[in-house]
Amino acid sequence: MAPEDRVIAVVSERGSLSEGDIALPTDAKASAGWEFAWAAGLRIASIAAMLLLWWAMTLFFPPTLIPHPIDTLIEVVAIMSTGDFFSEMGATLRRVGVGFAIAMLVSIPLGIVMGTIKPLEHFFEPPVILGLTMPGLIWAVLAIMFFGLNETSAYAAVSVTICPMLAISLWQGTKSIDKDLIDMSTAFHASPWSKIVDVILPQLISHILAAIRYGLGLAWKVVVVVEMFGFSNGVGYQVVRGFNTFSMKAVLAWAITFLLVMIIIEFGLIGWLENRVTRWRPKIQAWRR
Amino acid sequence: MAYVRVENAVKYFPREDGSDMLVLDRVSFDTEEFGITCLLGPSGCGKSTLLNAVSGLERLDDGRVEVVSSGRSSRARSPRLGYVFQDPRLLNWKRVEDNLIFALKGMQVPQAEWPERLNKYIELVGLSDFRGQYPLYLSGGMRQRVGLARGLVIEPEVLLMDEPFSKLDQLTARRLRQETLLICERLRQTTLLVTHDVEEAAYMGDRIVILRARPARIVDILENPLKPGQRKVDDPQFITFKKNLLHTVLQLIEKEALA
Repeated sequence: MAPEDRVIAVVSERGSLSEGDIALPTDAKASAGWEFAWAAGLRIASIAAMLLLWWAMTLFFPPTLIPHPIDTLIEVVAIMSTGDFFSEMGATLRRVGVGFAIAMLVSIPLGIVMGTIKPLEHFFEPPVILGLTMPGLIWAVLAIMFFGLNETSAYAAVSVTICPMLAISLWQGTKSIDKDLIDMSTAFHASPWSKIVDVILPQLISHILAAIRYGLGLAWKVVVVVEMFGFSNGVGYQVVRGFNTFSMKAVLAWAITFLLVMIIIEFGLIGWLENRVTRWRPKIQAWRR
Repeated sequence: MAYVRVENAVKYFPREDGSDMLVLDRVSFDTEEFGITCLLGPSGCGKSTLLNAVSGLERLDDGRVEVVSSGRSSRARSPRLGYVFQDPRLLNWKRVEDNLIFALKGMQVPQAEWPERLNKYIELVGLSDFRGQYPLYLSGGMRQRVGLARGLVIEPEVLLMDEPFSKLDQLTARRLRQETLLICERLRQTTLLVTHDVEEAAYMGDRIVILRARPARIVDILENPLKPGQRKVDDPQFITFKKNLLHTVLQLIEKEALA
């Protein structure tokens, strides 16, 4: 720098960035652990805040309208310890599981076909779009009227409700497949089976996972409605029983156990699955704060 | 080993308005056997179309492409062709060695030969330490090396390369050209390389086929007077050859601009 030059502004220097931006290699492990703890802490704080809000409301309403969180928690423990929980929750999970499996078996091939063959895309577009707009509640009513009050109607209602959503997601995903990779696999004489399994399906994985997330959310809602209509077991039935005896505590307790199971499936099972199938993708989130 | 013979290749592409556009105009040439043949021409002149016709990804409207192996034509069975693309086109969800296995499986190489071949070709491109890595964790140059290994691992009669260095930075490209030249020389690999880079053609090509654009037509076919080992950046003979080649190509462009 010549003597007459002067610094107008320091654009960047050591220490001017916030800590999370550049993790030095030696700190990388510790920083990852710290970040994990921080994220977990925020989640716990959020749950604590909700509980606090709940407790605050008990101060203004009688326990028949808003039961105390502790009482409800005792009820939850009671439900879980009687063994009722497992048979009731099991019945609901089975209905969701079977309905979901049927929907996947239909919608994955349907979505792939719609994404690859133009005439079939035009043909299947109206029913898929119509199916998406139809409320799950109506499917539930139709299924029960058609099949009667048995397991089949539950399976049918769940699968028909979520099928269009899964198909749309797979259809859009298939359209965005990289054609260059298909050409590459042709150049190396890959078999049709290998093209599907090694080239096409891996590109659809993130679409399938997103579809599973949304699909499960829809399936829970529909299955509970179906069970409320007159099934003799399942979480929906238990909620109706709580309603008939006007036991707010029972209704809430069953809702909470239901939420717990959903959280385990959502974060545990699907999160684990997602981590497993996307290991090949570096986790870059530089644009997020 | 084998070489490629292109005879009277003609190809039309449909235009938006329904008429046909001539892309390849009676292109005929033979590639070098055991060496590298460069197809040199401006961007968008139909070089890649020609390469795709050789690989069978694209059908010709007239003429034919033959892969001739030691005297007799092997049109009867489908020849073994390795392909290296401009973008590496790797399966990013497969580890480096699984990307190679994908090609071995496709070309129906007996599974007993896989371990030996994987070792040989992964080492040849210098990726022995990265064979279990996923492509997105590798640099651009290393990904292109995986692409090269995938093209070679099937031990092709002809290796086809479509501007394989044009997306890399200058220094990486230079290094990779040098290594590819050495590898192809060592394997005595018949190679057909498409490029628009005059220097690359002079450096890589034992034979250089110069194409003009729209439609692609052969202007000249040159033999490189220098052996691969003699092609050094500062070698006066190499510089002269490069200059002559550039001169020929520039003249060609000028003539086209006037026409």
